[in-house]
Amino acid sequence: MSATRSHAAAADTGATEASVGAPRREPRGGGLKLQLVAWTSILGGLALWEFVGRVLVKNSLFLATPWQTALALVQLWQEGALQHHAWVSGQEFLIGFAIAVALGIPIGLATAASRRTAAAVNPWVSGLYATPIIALAPLLILWFGIGIWSKVAVVVSLVIFPVIINTEAGVRNADRQLVEAVRSFGANQMQIFMKVSLPSALPFILAGLRLGVGRGLIGVVVGELFGARAGLGYLIIQSAEIFNMPKLFAGVVVLAAAGILLTAAFQALERRLVPWNYE
Amino acid sequence: MGAAKLTVASLHKSFGGLAVLEDVSLAVTPGEFVSFVGPSGCGKTTFLRIIAGLESADHGGIRIDDHPVTKPGMDRGFVFQADSLLPWRTVFNNAFIGLEVNGAINPETRSRTQALLRLVGLGGFENYYPRQLSGGMRQRVNLARALAVNPEVLLMDEPFSSLDAQTREIMQSELMRIWSSGRKTVLFITHQIDEAVYLSDRVVVFSRRPGRISEIVAVDLPRPRPLSVKRSPEFVAYVERIWRLIEDDVRLSVLEEGG
Repeated sequence: MSATRSHAAAADTGATEASVGAPRREPRGGGLKLQLVAWTSILGGLALWEFVGRVLVKNSLFLATPWQTALALVQLWQEGALQHHAWVSGQEFLIGFAIAVALGIPIGLATAASRRTAAAVNPWVSGLYATPIIALAPLLILWFGIGIWSKVAVVVSLVIFPVIINTEAGVRNADRQLVEAVRSFGANQMQIFMKVSLPSALPFILAGLRLGVGRGLIGVVVGELFGARAGLGYLIIQSAEIFNMPKLFAGVVVLAAAGILLTAAFQALERRLVPWNYE
Repeated sequence: MGAAKLTVASLHKSFGGLAVLEDVSLAVTPGEFVSFVGPSGCGKTTFLRIIAGLESADHGGIRIDDHPVTKPGMDRGFVFQADSLLPWRTVFNNAFIGLEVNGAINPETRSRTQALLRLVGLGGFENYYPRQLSGGMRQRVNLARALAVNPEVLLMDEPFSSLDAQTREIMQSELMRIWSSGRKTVLFITHQIDEAVYLSDRVVVFSRRPGRISEIVAVDLPRPRPLSVKRSPEFVAYVERIWRLIEDDVRLSVLEEGG
């Protein structure tokens, strides 16, 4: 995970960080042992949780045990409610994420390409990135209504900034010596951009997207908390209001699983698109 | 001397008021191997970069076969000090990039690049990524990349300085083998006097800043030169002579850097 954290650092500061593009060591031999440690940790955590829920905090208004949560998941699935809520939240997330990426990457490229664009855009980007934009969620609900589009707007507003910042940092991070090597053969600006700047930026851009996953999921849930008719965040807030802890935890578990799956998917994508960092 | 391949006429260059090169003139004959030595900061690298077209001269000019040179082009190949290979490209695609940016993508240039990779001893490594290679192998790719555009003049900026001593010796004799098979005109910068003497027809000695040519030493040792020539008295005498020419300047520049 250390690599993940260094990506996060690069995006948070907007700084160029050498270690981001640096090769990553794959575990060799010890891989199986580490997996064992991970699974022991997960199962141990669940057992502890079950113990606390059954023995220490017996009041089911405060805590649901893993077992109760699992039962709630099964029940929600059988009712079809789980699929419905997940589908609504999934749409909000995917549409918002796609819009953020489709806008964020070109904006990042533009600010990296021209100092003037950077001067015009960057104060807004750093200002809005540092602001807890989530506070604007109620306003966005007011503007875009209670349906999915207000949540899409929240997701876009959260995801777009790490994408812009990482794209710009990635292009700027291109090694000057590599640029010069290609220039020595008479390459023009466009060729330098396509053959050096863009490939060097790719690991940064993908890291920006991976950061966006977590922020986007937060956006979906918080957006739904402020006003929605369906979705996992809606399920959570509804369950909280009637103190149905197993259902609340069921919603949280689905979100956590989505986060893990999406992050793993992006890591697989990085492996495919950036093989030179792995082989 | 006959018709020169490369002529440098009274080159001047300064950075922000600091004169780096002052009135440097030189003529290099076709197929000649010329090395440049001098204390650090004497402008050798700037000199080579101006010839490559990566930097522009304040005054004076460069001609290759009587054509003026102002910007980078396929008539020159530059071998950088750092291997500067693109990490996302395989060995072959790195070697091929000069041809690619010049639109020379065809079966003939592809097979020429293949042949060059074999010549530098990298046959079979075409599909490796740079980080899977050792430092010496990466510098071979760097060399193949410069040679792939089939340049008139090969410009080499301390290409072996990052290699360990043994690898460096091997690379020197390899370079000799490759050079004698194609007889390119080579301009080679180095800090190591024995390397300059071993490789060169002439060694150009630069003086301390502002860089000027203080002396040109013709190396009259028969070719091909086995590595053992480095222990011959004639060889040692050349090294001694060149060292004495730059010794004072090197001491001064070391003092300057230290204080």
